[in-house]
Amino acid sequence: MFEALGLMVFYENMLALNNVSLACGDNQIVGVFGANSAGKSTLMYTLSGIMDDIAKKEQMAGGERITLRGRINYKGRDISHDKPSKRAKAGIILCPERRRIFPESSVIENLKIGGYLAKPAQAAETLEYVFEVFPPLTKIMRRLGGFLSGGEQQMLAIGRALMAQPKLLLLDEPLLGLSPAIQYWLAKSIKEIAEERGVAIIVAEQYARPIMPIIDFGYILENGSAVVEGDKDELMNNPDVKSAYFGA
Amino acid sequence: MAKAHESRRKERLDRGVKVRSDGVYAVASWREMAFLLGPRLLLIAGLLIMPLLLWPVPYWQKVLTIICIYSLLAIGFDFLAHYVGLVSLGGALYIGVGAYIAALLNTEMGLPLWATIPLATVLGGGVCTVLLWPCLPLRGVYFAIVSLMFPLLAARLIEAFDVFGGTDGVMGLDGFPNSWSEMYVLIICLLLALFALRRLVNEDVGLVFRGVKDNDQAVKASGINITTYKALGVFIASSLGCLGGACLAHIYMWAGISQFALDFSIIPIAATVVGGGGTLAGPVIGCLILVPISELLRDFGTLRIAVYALILMAFIVFKSEGLMSYGSRKYNQFEHWVEI
Repeated sequence: MFEALGLMVFYENMLALNNVSLACGDNQIVGVFGANSAGKSTLMYTLSGIMDDIAKKEQMAGGERITLRGRINYKGRDISHDKPSKRAKAGIILCPERRRIFPESSVIENLKIGGYLAKPAQAAETLEYVFEVFPPLTKIMRRLGGFLSGGEQQMLAIGRALMAQPKLLLLDEPLLGLSPAIQYWLAKSIKEIAEERGVAIIVAEQYARPIMPIIDFGYILENGSAVVEGDKDELMNNPDVKSAYFGA
Repeated sequence: MAKAHESRRKERLDRGVKVRSDGVYAVASWREMAFLLGPRLLLIAGLLIMPLLLWPVPYWQKVLTIICIYSLLAIGFDFLAHYVGLVSLGGALYIGVGAYIAALLNTEMGLPLWATIPLATVLGGGVCTVLLWPCLPLRGVYFAIVSLMFPLLAARLIEAFDVFGGTDGVMGLDGFPNSWSEMYVLIICLLLALFALRRLVNEDVGLVFRGVKDNDQAVKASGINITTYKALGVFIASSLGCLGGACLAHIYMWAGISQFALDFSIIPIAATVVGGGGTLAGPVIGCLILVPISELLRDFGTLRIAVYALILMAFIVFKSEGLMSYGSRKYNQFEHWVEI
């Protein structure tokens, strides 16, 4: 359904993504693992089209020159030149790193903003679903986004992304800054969402331990290159992956 | 992602001399010395020669002094906005305060010109800092609005209470002995201020200034009182403005409420946008371009502002980085196409 071919991203002369190709089928959960500076966020920004926007702004301000190469195919169509808004309308929704929720809007308002693309009936139905998967959000519906805890913010960010009726959900570091217990709980919720809503999910994360069990296929990024790829069992049994991510 | 360049990409690299002079100061030859000194000497020599070139046209000599006064304000604005993080729209306040202090010292106390200008610089800086002190905890647009209000307020208060000569202003100041001293005092002050500020922002205190701009909470957490540093920044910038104002008063031999005019607040900002913020030399270049344009456009009457606005908009849309940043990038780096 979704595939990226030979993605290359240069920040000025630094190679941030080196010939990365990845694919994600219907209802699949694909994991992208890597340490800091491996290129996870760059990959997510490139897939969602935000990178085009960043490149344009940098060019306007005379900052670093960002060069993009490669192709992104979605449902048999080349979308690598589409704007982020067009990609979002086609169903590719990014849930950005560090949540980026609207701090001056309440939880319910944040969710409603997310549902801008959805039809009213869809939005109402999804809103109910979000409160069902993330029960803690029901109690804090009227609280401002800026006053939420890290875990609540992350739930809200995923909920907001769901409101946009994604067919492919891009989760960038959803576990960042959360306690281990919440990490496992959230990973379980992500799995549930994929199954119950029929959404394909690409999740970029550095904590492989909670995420690895829920994925169908995974890639390991290192210094901008996809060095290892394989399904869950192949990755879990790879000695390098084991020592790097599971401390064994 | 243009199709034609699918397999090539433009690479941008620092020139060798730039890398060597930035890092270890290992400059190898006279050619490299010339490369580094060239732009700086061009500015210094250019400004120093300018009065001689303008010998036949005294009107433009006058414009040059105005350019220098605006430049002093503009580097003050650039310093405050891009190194301390305070966007000050109070340029007119600095000019007005400097002008009035110089005028009063000269006419009431009979101090000579060479004493009033330095005194007005320091005292004016102090007065402006004290006036703006209560607003220092404010950030961003709040500080900008308050600093914009002060010159308007000052002009109206002088008018209403009829102090300092009221609407007539203070008249009968000593003029400069001749137009050469006028120009060279200003040009030398401008060059000194420019190079002193460039040195200052790279010293330790400059690092604190930049820290205050980037993240004031982290600076507070490092045990530094940010209000003191902001006040110091305001003092430096307003002193520069007051110096300009004092010179202006002595050039016109008059100080009046028109020296609180909005022009003194707006043109320096425009010059900073055109020249490139955070470069300090950029605003001077901006003034060298904008002030003569504004003089040339005088024939157009009120349309002047419209043309001015168009120029500014064009700069913001097409070259928002500013001339100086663009120029120094082209000068210090080379570009070529490479195969991916």
